[in-house]
Amino acid sequence: MKNKILNIKNLSKSYGAFKVTDEIAIDLNFNEIHALIGPNGAGKSTLIKQIVGSVKHDIGSIILDQEDITDLTDIERAKIGISRTFQVSSIIPKFSALENIILSLLNKSNNTFQLFKSLKQNRELHLKAKKILRDIDLDSKSDEVASELSHGDRRKLEVGLALAMDPKVFLFDEPMAGLDEIGTKMMIDLFKKIKANSPILLIEHDMEAVFALADRVSVIVYGKIVATGTVKEIKSNKLVRDVYLGYEI
Amino acid sequence: MITEQFFNKWIWSFLLIIPICGLIFDEPYYITLATKVIILGIAGVGLNLALGYCGLISFGHAAFFGVGGYVTAIMSYHAINEEVLFHWPFDVFGSSEMLIIWPFAIFISSFFSLIIGLLSLRTSGVYFIMITLAFAQMLYFFSISWPNYGGEDGLSIYMRNSLPMLNTMNPLTFYLICLSWFLTSVYISYKLINSPFGMAFQAVKQNEERVKSVGIETFKVKLLVFVISGAITGLAGSLYTDLNRFVSPSVLDWQTSGEIMVFVILGGIARLYGPLVGAAFFIILEQTLGAYTDNWQFWLGLILILEILYARTGIMGLFDKKKQNEK
Repeated sequence: MKNKILNIKNLSKSYGAFKVTDEIAIDLNFNEIHALIGPNGAGKSTLIKQIVGSVKHDIGSIILDQEDITDLTDIERAKIGISRTFQVSSIIPKFSALENIILSLLNKSNNTFQLFKSLKQNRELHLKAKKILRDIDLDSKSDEVASELSHGDRRKLEVGLALAMDPKVFLFDEPMAGLDEIGTKMMIDLFKKIKANSPILLIEHDMEAVFALADRVSVIVYGKIVATGTVKEIKSNKLVRDVYLGYEI
Repeated sequence: MITEQFFNKWIWSFLLIIPICGLIFDEPYYITLATKVIILGIAGVGLNLALGYCGLISFGHAAFFGVGGYVTAIMSYHAINEEVLFHWPFDVFGSSEMLIIWPFAIFISSFFSLIIGLLSLRTSGVYFIMITLAFAQMLYFFSISWPNYGGEDGLSIYMRNSLPMLNTMNPLTFYLICLSWFLTSVYISYKLINSPFGMAFQAVKQNEERVKSVGIETFKVKLLVFVISGAITGLAGSLYTDLNRFVSPSVLDWQTSGEIMVFVILGGIARLYGPLVGAAFFIILEQTLGAYTDNWQFWLGLILILEILYARTGIMGLFDKKKQNEK
């Protein structure tokens, strides 16, 4: 238990008779990337939404760093250290890339309710934001309006927003979707680097990236976790091959 | 190419030239008219914070405008009649000093915007519009049914409230007082929108879910913007009562809310000087077309339709260098 930063027990959510997540039990250790894979509609994104608190669960509990956060609101969960990316890019479209990152830094630096201080003169925030932009390889586009960035750059910016929060855990929902080969490699290197500080629960369809990154993999099908194990164990799991991977590796 | 910055300089030139012209040609009416534009511009600056920068489409800002107006008139009325304003916990008298009235008007407008905001900000979209309208209409009907302060007939205060060492009855003096307040409200807005808090509320307008996900309490952000917005609009209401030396339930009517919104939209949403330009345009239309027909609002409606279809950035937007370069 002490080794777990995030521990989800028995989490369920139904819409009428349809069980989107069914008694999910999954955990995340320190220094770990735990990948969650499964076919479309399996309940992966709903699980993320339940963990961040934007979808209310029916039953179950969520423990973050030994604290029960099950009844906290989405904002409270974000404040105490859950940081996410969205399946479909969610950024502040009219802000520049730099401003997006600064927004994400506001809460942690207790700057949100500074009413009359000039943001432009806050050197510390700008330096931090620029460092994050360098980490995600977007420093050359820091002044570009976010809505005008390419799809791949928006995915990177989303990850940057999550990084800026300096959270206890990252929940990344398909962060590599739409990235080119260079972008994917950059993301893989970045995730390997940041997992030491904040472990990652990763939803991803790019199996090469998953297998390159994940310490453990869980497979979700029809809202149920059907297998959990190391990459090697998952690759050799017949059930997983039948229901999701569909091929022998 | 005329830029927005250049246009802003023109606005300031006009603000200084108009009273001088009024004095030279001995036409105090034009100074009074310019004062009205500035006061309505202040009300628009207040609404612009909520609507333009934070995306809160309030259709109830007449409530704060009217509360500011009534606070001013009631305090003045009690001072003139030497009546106690209220007894508990001790006797409090009215006042005809602007330096006392303004803080009261701002405080009570803020209080009302806090209460209305606390309840209405739990909703969004069309429900938010309706609930803010409903609150303003409640206050409107309350003022009609309040005979102590004139009811439907309104309340006259005969003399403009006073400021030490100044003759506020002088049109130019009162114009300069209002101009100072306009400058202050624009400066406050400017400081706010360029602060970390300003970044938060402008982000809320664009993508509230994302703002929540980075741990910012969007409800508190919206509430604070709404209260500041209500306070500025309340101050405008106070000045408006002093300008007319009269207040009536019409300042609380939904039509007032609509007009303040029109100033913001006409001038340019989320532009510092937009509401002033919108208010000036509105008053010019009223004065020119109104001389020919009582139904001058028909033409206002037509202009609004054309603006929304072809120039959503408003009059100020026409001078936006960025937009011009994009073309």
